[in-house]
Amino acid sequence: MKNTYIPFQMKVKKIYTESPDRTLKTFDLSYVNKDDKFNFLPGQFCEFSILGKGESPFGIASSPTEEDILKFTVNRTGSVTNEIHYLQEGDIVGIRGPLGNWYPVEKFKGQDVVIIGGGFAFTTLRSLLVYMLGHRKDYGKITVVYGARNPDLFIYKDEIKEWEKRDDLTLHLTIDNPVKGWNKLTGFVPTVTKEVSLDPTSWCVVCGPPIMIKYTLPVLTEIGFPDEKIYTSLERRMKCGIGKCGRCNIGSKYVCIDGPVFSYEEIKKIPEAL
Amino acid sequence: MIKIKKSEFNKFIENLQKNYSVFAPVKDGKATAFKKIKSAKDINNKILNTKRSPKEIFFPQSEVLFQYTEKGMEVPKREEKPFAIWGMRNCDTKSLLMLDKVFGEAHQMPKKDMYKDPYWKKKYDNCLVFNLACNEPLSTCFCNWFDGGPFDKTGSDIFVVETDENYIFEAVSDKGKNFLNDCKITENASDKEIKKIEKLKKTAESYLSEKEDISSLFSKTKEIWEEPIWDEIAAKCVNCGACAFVCPTCHCFDVSDEGKGKKGKRIRLWDSCMFTIFTKEASGHNPRSQSTQRVRQRVMHKYNYFMDNYGEHLCTGCGRCVIICPANLDIREVIKKIIRY
Repeated sequence: MKNTYIPFQMKVKKIYTESPDRTLKTFDLSYVNKDDKFNFLPGQFCEFSILGKGESPFGIASSPTEEDILKFTVNRTGSVTNEIHYLQEGDIVGIRGPLGNWYPVEKFKGQDVVIIGGGFAFTTLRSLLVYMLGHRKDYGKITVVYGARNPDLFIYKDEIKEWEKRDDLTLHLTIDNPVKGWNKLTGFVPTVTKEVSLDPTSWCVVCGPPIMIKYTLPVLTEIGFPDEKIYTSLERRMKCGIGKCGRCNIGSKYVCIDGPVFSYEEIKKIPEAL
Repeated sequence: MIKIKKSEFNKFIENLQKNYSVFAPVKDGKATAFKKIKSAKDINNKILNTKRSPKEIFFPQSEVLFQYTEKGMEVPKREEKPFAIWGMRNCDTKSLLMLDKVFGEAHQMPKKDMYKDPYWKKKYDNCLVFNLACNEPLSTCFCNWFDGGPFDKTGSDIFVVETDENYIFEAVSDKGKNFLNDCKITENASDKEIKKIEKLKKTAESYLSEKEDISSLFSKTKEIWEEPIWDEIAAKCVNCGACAFVCPTCHCFDVSDEGKGKKGKRIRLWDSCMFTIFTKEASGHNPRSQSTQRVRQRVMHKYNYFMDNYGEHLCTGCGRCVIICPANLDIREVIKKIIRY
């Protein structure tokens, strides 16, 4: 019987500091044992642990198309994330996964897709975007709306520059309040979503802080997106990741096994989801 | 049905101990609980519903998931003998079936193997459960609401009735049948004694309060989700979590590391949805920050969510929470209130 509570080892291959205030770091991990390598799809998550310090769930930010690494972006906010931020390249960490479900990339095939993200929650959206760009011919028009409080708080800044150069991808970047030298959009994600004239026949994936999700979903309805074509990823405190420890539930659904990806249609049936 | 004389009970347990680690109801300080017994003399068959439920045999309050050193991680070795549990009551044997749904699989998932809990499975799959009939149920018992009863056999391997002179055994599962076939008890219960069981059953059932029709409980809990009734229900609750700790079906747990440097262990510990920090995220965001939300969660998990996922209520009517609640919050009253709302 597989013991899903026991993590396998991965090595910190590269660390990127994402923001000047150093609260956001990205960790590229490489497999220590090749046998541990697993298949996953964008939207799934792992339990990331440092033995003796604890374990926390993070969405996988790398795409399955990126061989041999797993990428996680971690906001320094609690005791485990603090310890993760102390990691150095070469250190060993524990990983359990892949856990949860994924964005329905199969349904997206041949269709237009809109990705809407906020702040450091762009992680699994990066996975999705890189995955679709890796299989570019399988998908129609790809549009991204990405907002952050200020220009410093976008993650994957170097990649954003590359994405901006592409002609097979429309990227709308926005910050909450005007900043000198910022020549892109200004305004909260829900407002910008309304303004950039999205095509409601597309599929849409939204991920961000709870408050952003809450106010963006109704805007999508207003534009004309049907509930079953809007997907979002939810977060709750988690421990086991396999539907037993009982804390990540929203109604009868467990975010760890029934989610984290839910359609707006499903979310509307669960009173405490948003 | 076969029987042993009460005078043969200690010998029966001693024989059982040869092949099993035997757990049974005992006094444990001021409390009562199921513990691994050294001697048959420790067993107290007068104890009805132990204060702490027997879930702790399979799912202890704290359990080491693995130890780690520089060399790697290791699951602690457990004793090889299978468990035999003497003297469980119907409310507890039924709870094991429910917990086995949670730990043995997970709802709605295709890849079931990774969702099996090896710690639970190893202990539960090989255990032998003796269900002792309750001749005199407590005033707090309401197993009959959930189609259980003092003489119900669900979830047991061997059903046992205590009469004045004997213990009468009936095999319920194949495992129980095999055990009774092999255990060399040859004396059959007489027709008179079997009739006596019927009489004891009727008497026992007369101890229970009237059965409440809970068929509307599932739909009703959903309907009243946003009603102020939850504030009324939660008003008494002090969020101490005692109900969850004594409950035979509550299974929420926390995972925590203990260690320094390269040596330590990862442990799981009972937790409760009654506690504020249960759902509090590192960011400070807490989806169930209010007491009302937490009480509603507990009631909904028991009487709605579990039904949604596993097709039954996560409650066996053992009444332990009724007894232990320091605020006298009686779950039976809560159920009645919801049904009649």
